[in-house]
Amino acid sequence: MAQLFQMKPPTKMNISFKINGKAHSVDTDGDAPLLWVIRDVLDLKGTKFGCGKAACGACTIHVDGEAVRSCSFAAKFAEGKEITTIEGLGNAENPHPVQQAWIEEIVPQCGYCQPGFMMATAALIDKNPSPTDEDIDDNIINICRCGTYYRMRKAIHRAAELKNSTTSNS
Amino acid sequence: MTTTKKKISRRKFIVRTLLGGTGVILGTAYLARNPLRRELNKSLNAAEPPFMGNTDTPLVWFEITSDNKVRLHSPKVEMGQGTFTGLAQLAADELEVDVTQIEMVHAETITGNVDGMSTGGSTSIASLWQPLRELAATMREMLKLQAAKQMGLEVQALEVSNGVIASGSNSMTYGQVVDGVTEWEIPEIPALKDANDFKFIGKPVPRLDLTDKVVGTPMFGIDASMPDMLFGAVVRPSQIGAKFISADATEAHNMPGVVRVVEEEDFIGVVAHTMIEAENAKKVIKVEWQTERNWSTQDIEDLIKVGNGDPMVIQKTGNAKKILEDQESNDNGDIITAEFKSPIGAHAQLEPNGAVAFVESDKATIMISTQVVSFTRKEVAERLGFDEEQVNVIPTYLGGGFGRRLHTPNAVQAALMSKAVGKPVKCFFDRKEEFQNDTFRPPTHHLLKAKLDSNGMIEAFEHNVSSGDVMYGSPLVPGFVEPILGSDIGAWRGGMIQYGAIPNFRAVSWRVKLPFATSWWRSLGLLANTFAIESFLDELALKNGKNPVEFRLQQIQNDKAGDRLRKVIEAAADKANYTDEVVNGIAMGFAASTDAGTPCAHVAEVSIENKQIKVHKVTCSIDPGIAVNPDQVKAQCEGSIIMGISASMFERMYVEEGQLRPIIYGPYQMALMRHAPKDIDVIILENNDKPGAVGEPPLGPIGAAIANAVFRLTSQRLREMPLQLA
Amino acid sequence: MKRIKTWLLFSPLLVAGIMVIGNPGSGTEPPHKTAELTTPDEAFDVMMQVLTHKRCVNCHPADNYPRQGEDSHKHLFGVERGVANAGMAATNCNTCHQDENNNYSGVPGAPEWSLAPLSMAWQGLTKYEIARSMLDRNKNGNRSLEELEHHLTEHALVLWAFEPGVNAEGIPREKPPVSKEDYITAVKEWIEHGAVVPDETTN
Repeated sequence: MAQLFQMKPPTKMNISFKINGKAHSVDTDGDAPLLWVIRDVLDLKGTKFGCGKAACGACTIHVDGEAVRSCSFAAKFAEGKEITTIEGLGNAENPHPVQQAWIEEIVPQCGYCQPGFMMATAALIDKNPSPTDEDIDDNIINICRCGTYYRMRKAIHRAAELKNSTTSNS
Repeated sequence: MTTTKKKISRRKFIVRTLLGGTGVILGTAYLARNPLRRELNKSLNAAEPPFMGNTDTPLVWFEITSDNKVRLHSPKVEMGQGTFTGLAQLAADELEVDVTQIEMVHAETITGNVDGMSTGGSTSIASLWQPLRELAATMREMLKLQAAKQMGLEVQALEVSNGVIASGSNSMTYGQVVDGVTEWEIPEIPALKDANDFKFIGKPVPRLDLTDKVVGTPMFGIDASMPDMLFGAVVRPSQIGAKFISADATEAHNMPGVVRVVEEEDFIGVVAHTMIEAENAKKVIKVEWQTERNWSTQDIEDLIKVGNGDPMVIQKTGNAKKILEDQESNDNGDIITAEFKSPIGAHAQLEPNGAVAFVESDKATIMISTQVVSFTRKEVAERLGFDEEQVNVIPTYLGGGFGRRLHTPNAVQAALMSKAVGKPVKCFFDRKEEFQNDTFRPPTHHLLKAKLDSNGMIEAFEHNVSSGDVMYGSPLVPGFVEPILGSDIGAWRGGMIQYGAIPNFRAVSWRVKLPFATSWWRSLGLLANTFAIESFLDELALKNGKNPVEFRLQQIQNDKAGDRLRKVIEAAADKANYTDEVVNGIAMGFAASTDAGTPCAHVAEVSIENKQIKVHKVTCSIDPGIAVNPDQVKAQCEGSIIMGISASMFERMYVEEGQLRPIIYGPYQMALMRHAPKDIDVIILENNDKPGAVGEPPLGPIGAAIANAVFRLTSQRLREMPLQLA
Repeated sequence: MKRIKTWLLFSPLLVAGIMVIGNPGSGTEPPHKTAELTTPDEAFDVMMQVLTHKRCVNCHPADNYPRQGEDSHKHLFGVERGVANAGMAATNCNTCHQDENNNYSGVPGAPEWSLAPLSMAWQGLTKYEIARSMLDRNKNGNRSLEELEHHLTEHALVLWAFEPGVNAEGIPREKPPVSKEDYITAVKEWIEHGAVVPDETTN
């Protein structure tokens, strides 16, 4: 029987960061996954737990603009960073182009994996304003069990379009 | 209009403010049907799913709020299938409100509006099609009668639209009408709207939960919380058949954040201040499990074999058995046989199972993703020694259902931990536990036999399927059913022959008991059974060089079900321009199935790239009768096709050293974005007078359609899921 | 700890024994022998036992797919090298891999987590080919011998091989069959003696 690794005792530490534009300072086990700080300490529940192994992407957030799977990101690494979750991407009144595209294509079914996909997509179109189908296949590797990939692909193209049109207008 | 003046009785109609708005509690005379009196096979397998609602307590269906919104307390849960939107459409049309005026909420068990069975089997819309519209229409007439009284007008003079009752310039909103009313006049059930007058039914209304789900606000089970809540973790076994014997939790007591170790007769868990603390403490609990043997994949495959277990003839026409046992035909090779297999499948829904529970001295509250609200309540009540009325189950959105949430022992575990600490406790599975303690789709083995006549048409056809159980062991199926029915309806779902013009056919189900839990998995046996039957049909067609679509069409009987199937097959083949030719490296594969009364056909366009099967396009035609929401019917078809591609091309649990594995996404391969077809063309036919099943039927034909295309490309007949090239 | 001549320590029989000890799940540390390396060729062998180990080679693939696991399978989910050896534009190495191992998720991590450039592909090469490639300034990122020694003995990403953390099931990853100290000693000794790649026909 394999011997399981045992966690070292938690070291409580103070961690300060900005989340969705707002400064926070939390006392927490520095090694604990940032996901649980976001969900259970800051009560931002839009970021989901799917596997805890960085395999499904449901917990994807942005750290300084980069897509990060927060179940595999120790809280201590958030120190001094700017974090964005689905709640900070946009809202019902002022949706992010990715959210707008998701609404137009009526993407979600159960909806559970969708925030992770939208965060990954927002990072993608930031880096690559006009992703090809192949770019989408290579970058968007989260898991959706309801099988909304078909609509998602359309929404990702649409999001890029929307983002490019707002950028060119401004 | 005939109206019956009725004094309000608590059992019939009550207006109350308990729920925050003004509620109208409708009596349940409309729904007083006893589904168990129906022929069970029929009600579970066929086209007329009853709504198994609670029949003896008042139900809260609608609340009308002062801002003129209608809150609909849904006995069906929303797990992505769009049922909230569909039910709102049904209600809106009869209530004469805009669909966006309806706010859908999950009915808590305390409101009484509990589905006695489940949300599952693709029955939600179908079962509520008539009752919900009748309720809504009745409520509209009640509001009109009341308004007439308040406005001093004849009810005939009133017009209703968007929740406003008007006569000329004189008007009242529903919200105004219900304010302060304690006595209602109840009409007979009014005539329902003609289909031509539907404003919402049949329209592609955007999902009502769309914006919420896009901005991240909906509450799933794992998002639920209660004040002062603690976190629990339960030790779960990895070995198949492991029984909890004892545990040593000495070390866990001293772990940081631990509040209490909870030991029950059948499990041990730990409660701590944070989820991570609970999980860390759980790791140091040493549990002694008892297992009887170390199962392997081979052991399971040896069990799942046609010829093992209890056979039952589930379908019989003519004399297939005799014809196919004819020794001379056998010797001459006239009898064609083939075998197919499907693996153990995991649900792999993204939201793990779990619950938030708070047990107080005289009541319990459970917040949970469940497909069996009433059974969750029953199980918790039984274990706590409470009456069911003392347990309020509050269903949340489900982060995927797929049948996984038809078993909710996790609610009991959370409740017992809460009881032990006197505070609310949230407790969830981790992903490894999900994979190893799933209620799996059972593996199957299929043996098919056929004899063709001199014209190359099927003279006799037989399908044998061996499978682990699907419905037995589920709380949905009472124990007494098992000896009556014998075979497992879930296991042979899709296993019957749908081509009724074949003169001799029969289907035999072989029931095998497996050492691990197998149960409902979206579409049950449909995917595997259709894979076997429809692959074999292609083989038979090609035997004499027949066009597989024509071959199928010629063997469909002339009745209503046959007509609907024929139209669906023709529609898919026509729209896809079905051809036997391989064009630019892409071949088409065809398959069809009828599930829960809904026929569906797929044409899959497939190529081989880097030695991998690639599905480019699927043309799907489906006849759900009435499509209440065509957009969501399409969404269910797209989702079923992609989930079906995932299951038939990638997914497979195996058994090693007594453990079900793998334990994580990735090693448990699933379809990703790159595997989804870039084009899915859905054609909706409506050849019935009521809505039928949608959420599962389109899963049926996908595996066979892909395999049939692969044969065109490679001459390899793939007989096993997941489909892999030699 | 008892001193043993390295030629004895790394005789095939003993290496096989050590490999068993080092199997995933055993959690056993590789034996740390403050080795007394007698010849540069022996030092070379010790060094190469590390550099040919999957903990190193998994990120020196000869194609565009990182490898992972004890069986060196292609990285799951179709993860690719990308233009800068650090994954794709949005989903890159750091989407999951941080500056240290994550014991909750079992995702390994170290600073600069990335693939070695294609010029440094080691997958499928013999230890001699790896060594010659490593010394070739056209392939090794134009490193001098001194820079190479620094890279091999001090670079956190390289030394991660000795602290590879646990996998998704919490089971420790297999470590190279040589301790970090012995490896570093061996690298230094080999380089000190001119970084001569032994003649493979006589070894």
